[in-house]
Amino acid sequence: MLDRPLILHGELEYSGPGKLGKRVDMPYKEQTTITDSSASVQRGDRPPRTFSLAQAPELEGFLRGFSALLAGDAATLQRDFDLSASGSAAHWQLQLKPRDERLARRITAIEVDGAQNTPRCFRTHEADGDLGILLVDTLADTKLTTRPSPAQLDALCRGVAP
Amino acid sequence: MRTRRAVLTVLIVWLLALAVLALLAIQHLRISTDLRSFMPPPQTADQKLLMDQIGEGPGSRLLLLAIAGAPETTLAELSRGLANALHKDARFEQVVNGAFDASALDEQLLPYRYLLSPTLDTHTLDAAYLGEQLQQRVEDLASPAAALLKPLLARDPTLEVLALAERWSPPKPPAMRDGVWFSSAGEALLLAETRGAGFDPAAQGAAIDALEAAFHALPNAGTATLTVSGPGYFTVLINAKTRSEADRIGAVSTIGFIVLLLLAYRSVPALLLAGLPVVSGGLAGIAALALAFGSAHGITLAFGFTLLGVAQEYPIRLLSHRRAGEDALTSVRALWPLLATAIASAAIAYLAFFASGVGGLQQLAVFTIAGLVVAGLSTRYLLPRVLPARFRDAAATPGLAAATRFLDRVPRPRWLPWLLLVVSLVVLWRAPGPLWENDLAALTPVPQDLLLRDAKLRGELGAPDVRYLLVLQAPDADAVLALSESLAPQLDGLVKAGALDAVELPSRYLPSAATQRARQAKLPGRAALAIALADASRDLPFRADLFAPFLDDVERARSLTPLSAAVFARSPLGARLASMLVQRDDGWLGLATLSGVRDADALAAFTASTQGRARLLDLKAASESLVVAYRERILRALGLALVLLAVTVVVALRSWRRALHVLAPMSLATLLVLVVERASGISLSLFHLVALTLAAGLGLHYALFFERPVADAAEARRTLHATLVCVISALLVFGLQALSSLPVLRAIGLTVALGVGFHFCLSILMAREGSAKD
Repeated sequence: MLDRPLILHGELEYSGPGKLGKRVDMPYKEQTTITDSSASVQRGDRPPRTFSLAQAPELEGFLRGFSALLAGDAATLQRDFDLSASGSAAHWQLQLKPRDERLARRITAIEVDGAQNTPRCFRTHEADGDLGILLVDTLADTKLTTRPSPAQLDALCRGVAP
Repeated sequence: MRTRRAVLTVLIVWLLALAVLALLAIQHLRISTDLRSFMPPPQTADQKLLMDQIGEGPGSRLLLLAIAGAPETTLAELSRGLANALHKDARFEQVVNGAFDASALDEQLLPYRYLLSPTLDTHTLDAAYLGEQLQQRVEDLASPAAALLKPLLARDPTLEVLALAERWSPPKPPAMRDGVWFSSAGEALLLAETRGAGFDPAAQGAAIDALEAAFHALPNAGTATLTVSGPGYFTVLINAKTRSEADRIGAVSTIGFIVLLLLAYRSVPALLLAGLPVVSGGLAGIAALALAFGSAHGITLAFGFTLLGVAQEYPIRLLSHRRAGEDALTSVRALWPLLATAIASAAIAYLAFFASGVGGLQQLAVFTIAGLVVAGLSTRYLLPRVLPARFRDAAATPGLAAATRFLDRVPRPRWLPWLLLVVSLVVLWRAPGPLWENDLAALTPVPQDLLLRDAKLRGELGAPDVRYLLVLQAPDADAVLALSESLAPQLDGLVKAGALDAVELPSRYLPSAATQRARQAKLPGRAALAIALADASRDLPFRADLFAPFLDDVERARSLTPLSAAVFARSPLGARLASMLVQRDDGWLGLATLSGVRDADALAAFTASTQGRARLLDLKAASESLVVAYRERILRALGLALVLLAVTVVVALRSWRRALHVLAPMSLATLLVLVVERASGISLSLFHLVALTLAAGLGLHYALFFERPVADAAEARRTLHATLVCVISALLVFGLQALSSLPVLRAIGLTVALGVGFHFCLSILMAREGSAKD
């Protein structure tokens, strides 16, 4: 559908289980607020659009994984996802496959790459082939070309030289 | 002296005739179930519309469904599964459960979206607008809405299909969870529109059965429960109830009658033979229905047991009045003048039913009058010839002499009737509750809790009220749509002001041809559009050839003929529009449903300002006006019937004084029935009035027979015996009806049972002049 990837810059705020705020600064202004089970998206001067998370399972799945991960809640992670881990303490990778079949219909897997205590790269593989990548923390300021290749992004996430 | 052969011949011929009648009846009679047969016939245009709408209107074919009893995810899956299964079922026009249904617009009609959607009213497909839209789409792809958009993007970048889906979904939809509708109580909700009319129990029954079968066939139905509600469901319910009640009343009445006759006459042959005139009457009644109407309503046949309550009197009188040494034929000849008067008066009473003009009641009148006449005639001419020669004299029944003496000694103060009269008038004046029952809804046998549940589901689903309709009038269908469009802005204003929750106009589904052409004119040519598109997507990451299907669709839309109602009717939403556009002799009507009307006056003011092109139809008020107008007519017919009864009595007795002895208890008893019903807070309906006349017709007989001067005490005892048996069997039949759960049967049963009781007591007190001593 697109001939080059969409690249957004902004800030992600995690305020506790089920509460996420995503502010997009570039290339447009958008504020998404997620509380419990509904998401509210506000763009520019338009009025905010609210919808239930049930209509956006990818978001809900991501939120659950993210919450559990940051809270160190291994039990919830285990319950909602099929986990497999690889790597070392310096560079680790966690693969989460959703157990909930409704979610699995939309997301095949979420890969989390991190170093030490911090996750730095979240990759959401969608069932229809699209890939969503979230680079946070130290990786957030990486300068990317307009058309980064999958290999480059992979290397970036793993923390190895491309 | 009759020979055995003569007796048998008569009997066999009689039975054969009955068998032939029965066969004819079964072959030719159809049973109808349209409940509108028991409503007064419509007179004004509004009332006619009311009757049409109740059966066929937009709201009458909607079934409200709720699924509960499982976790949320399962409920949502069941909702989707059920919707899918019903899509393929021809009995359902449409099933909506909140999930976005791209098939709402037929594949072939998809290019029409540019003519149907209001977008082109305010925008043009130029580079500026397209640029803004495409930018939004890019942002949408990065947002949670991406999953919804991806399939549509290439063909419909301005998302007209979504705009239409939003426009066509119910104005106040329920909450959405997991992509389908959920109620505030956590049930999955669906709306199903049947093909069959709301008042057709057969079609609705088939649809509801198919629905439940489809539900239970779903893989994870398990413990989940499906609740169905709506006019069609109630129709099926009432139908089943009526049938089971009719069966029950019939069975118990028959058994009771048999036991009673056995006790009274202690002779099985007498019992069997006494049944023959009644059975003849019944079959004659059915044959009369088949001849006159071709079909009988189920409720009429259930009511038909009132015939039993009336016609049983004739053979009973004959059986009780036989005396030793007298041929049955002689007895019946002696009785015949009074019996004939009795038949005539009952027939007059039932003519009141006929005058009511209500289809179902007219059928009842034909059935009963035919039955009565045949029962009476067969009692006069056929029964005496087949009765066994040996019988017990009724005057010798143990306890009867004591009863007669007791009744003779009962004090009969002359002031008693006057006292009763005064007390009655006082009670009537001070009675609680309104005198007249104007609300047709009070006649519905549907239990209150089911009605409440329906109202609740209706509120949750945002389904339209069944009370108010906005009626638009114009020469043809397109003019109706144009009128609808012109009224839309004012109605939206009323919605914003809070006068009502929502209004669904026909033009919401299909704009008028003029509007479609206006939008069509604004569509750019292919070349111009391609340039605008390229301009708009210059800095955006879309693939170059992505929007080719969009260009194709717009080009096709430029040369389409505007969509007419007839063509739109073939799409999934066509049935919804078809029920909102009705053709009449003098033009077309558009019916707009209203939800949550809070300020009917504001609406009335609005319609007044349209100079008659739009009208607010209050279905409840229309039905009440129907009832009131009809009541006038019934009261006149009843008055006439009562006058005729009085005249019959005077003619039969040939003496004013004797007539007074008969008419006084009859009138007072009628008054007392009214008093008792009013004192218990019952408001009188059409059916109470008609039943009063019937009770008067019956009660007349008791007075007539008691008033008759008798030769000796034995004859007086026989009269008492006959009357007691009649009263008890009448009380049995009508008393059972009084216990029915159907308000109509209850009204008639209670009134007649009370009437029979009061007529009997007052006749004894006031008609008998004292008896000859033994």
